[in-house]
Amino acid sequence: MTIVVNTPSRPLLPIVVRGCGLAVASLLLLFYLLAPVAWLASSSLQTGREIVSVPPHWIPDHPTLRNFKAIFSAIPGLGASEAPAPDGTNSGGFIPSTAGNLLPAMLNSLIVASIVVLLNLIVGVPAAYAIAKIRFRGRNLALYTVLATRVIPDIALVVPFFLVVRKLGLLDSLTSLIVTYLAITVPFSVFVLASTFEQLPDDLDRAARVDGCSRSQVLLRIFLPLARPALVAVGLFAFLASWNEFLLALMFTQTAASQTLPIIVAAFTSDFTVSFSFLNAAGVLAVLPPAILAVVFERYIVSGLTAGAVKG
Amino acid sequence: MARIRLQSVSKAYGGGQAAVTDLTLDIADREFVVLLGPSGCGKSTTLNMVAGLEEITRGTLLFDDEVMNHTPAHKRDVAMVFQSYALYPHKSVFENIAFGLRMRRVPEAELTRRVHDAAERLEITHLLQRRPSQLSGGQRQRVALGRAMVRQPAVFLMDEPLSNLDASLRIAMRAQIRHLHAEMRTTFLYVTHDQAEALTLADRIVLMRDGVVQQLGTPHDIYERPRNMFVAAFLGSPAINFLDGQLSTESDAPCFRRGELSITLPPGIAATATRDIVLGLRAEDVGPVQDGFPVLRGMVDTAMPTGSDQFLGLKVGGNDVFVRVGKDSAVREGETISLGLNPARLHVFDKASGLSLLHGHS
Repeated sequence: MTIVVNTPSRPLLPIVVRGCGLAVASLLLLFYLLAPVAWLASSSLQTGREIVSVPPHWIPDHPTLRNFKAIFSAIPGLGASEAPAPDGTNSGGFIPSTAGNLLPAMLNSLIVASIVVLLNLIVGVPAAYAIAKIRFRGRNLALYTVLATRVIPDIALVVPFFLVVRKLGLLDSLTSLIVTYLAITVPFSVFVLASTFEQLPDDLDRAARVDGCSRSQVLLRIFLPLARPALVAVGLFAFLASWNEFLLALMFTQTAASQTLPIIVAAFTSDFTVSFSFLNAAGVLAVLPPAILAVVFERYIVSGLTAGAVKG
Repeated sequence: MARIRLQSVSKAYGGGQAAVTDLTLDIADREFVVLLGPSGCGKSTTLNMVAGLEEITRGTLLFDDEVMNHTPAHKRDVAMVFQSYALYPHKSVFENIAFGLRMRRVPEAELTRRVHDAAERLEITHLLQRRPSQLSGGQRQRVALGRAMVRQPAVFLMDEPLSNLDASLRIAMRAQIRHLHAEMRTTFLYVTHDQAEALTLADRIVLMRDGVVQQLGTPHDIYERPRNMFVAAFLGSPAINFLDGQLSTESDAPCFRRGELSITLPPGIAATATRDIVLGLRAEDVGPVQDGFPVLRGMVDTAMPTGSDQFLGLKVGGNDVFVRVGKDSAVREGETISLGLNPARLHVFDKASGLSLLHGHS
């Protein structure tokens, strides 16, 4: 005689409920995160009048590239191009007088962010390697000192930074931004890279040295390829921090020669009228470079490269 | 090919703790020397100092007649196999093996030839295009060996290269490492905590403890004539039996006494002030009772056949003694048996210092 034992299967209903709950929550979160971006993109293709229409048009009835044309046709530095759009002064379709500064400002932002990324890696990588893999007196002190600078909030640094920058005669220059952004981003980079290098086995370092690498060759030939995800993360962070930074840029820059994108875009609202359609087109342009970077480097931001390095 | 000399080499870390103390060692060219000891005894530190991966605190390291103390690792002609294998995970097996040659700017044709030679010898040619993560432990181990082999270094260093392999593979690899040494004709320095590995492979063994050399000698020397109780206990499986007792010199021959037990010792016990001694008896050094030989009587506590052998746990005057008898010996637990001892194979130590009292041991 056999005894059949029914193993109690998990009740189905709670699983379904849980799945639905998670799905709904995810959708809500996605909507919360993506709706503003979608509206930004959609409204950049609308006229000022359509933007303020009720109910809002998520898909423009009459998509137009007018806003982008305005940006790309505006003449840099020429302040007096504040012209009503052809569809009338009441439409809110003004092109701000500083529209021509947008593209130069973007270039400024790009220069600053790229140099900050580059210097972050040039400074951060050797520092992190030394802290992670070389035993020297004061190693912990070095790491904590680097980190301690991040304990102070940026706002508290604005005035000291301003005084230093002014003393050095760097006001209204891209250099002032590069220097101060480095002060903000390098500690984080060193910290992230140091913990990445620390996770790579010491034996790899030693094996490479016995194989004929000097310290710097170990770093270049073994550690950098293995730390690529962290390098990308650090680079992206430094880029975004510089690209988005507002407060310091507001303090240190005064003319279009050094103003960055956030400053110029913010200035669009200080005209007599706010042109939402134009502002949103500028917003789309501001979002594009970071978005492209994220897409390009997304595939590198995966770990697991160290699998198989040591006994498994 | 190089003769390696360590002259009074010491290594101390920042906190003042000594990892290696006053180590003097002269390794002949093409010799196979094994550094043996429990973990934390300083054997790996010693190896790393030879490799140039650790700085030498005091003393001198010479390759042939050249002082190497301050030569960085990448400028010493050494190759090393790591316990963790330390393969470069982002490189193929071919590139892993070739890396050391590339760093030394060996021409491409020569490099390819040498990598393929090594791969063939290690039977990993079919794996050359794989990544380390796609290999089994044994295959990784071979790649690590290959990476060191192709370099044809003056000094070949191995840091517990077999400890991550399973038992059967480990024994097979021991033979392969012996062949490798014979073929490469270079100086080998090998670190292990496995006494069987050391006894199998070494021309000479350096047995270390707490950074201090306990004994230096051929495997036979170290096993047969241990200088102190630590060496005696570290080598041999099962471990040597120690019996506490007194040295009695009342009769003409020195004698070990412990309660009813009285064992005549070999002549030539070093003159000693102490009477407290320890008798060392290896499990295999018992046999049938013979005339004129000391006898060990004990009650069989446990009988453990292992197939090829049989081990007995005896109670001898309150002490546990572990002995090996033939597999055919039909002894039952609870019985009292007598075993013959060969005085020439007994070890006698001073209880206080732990040093051997037999002549010629120090």
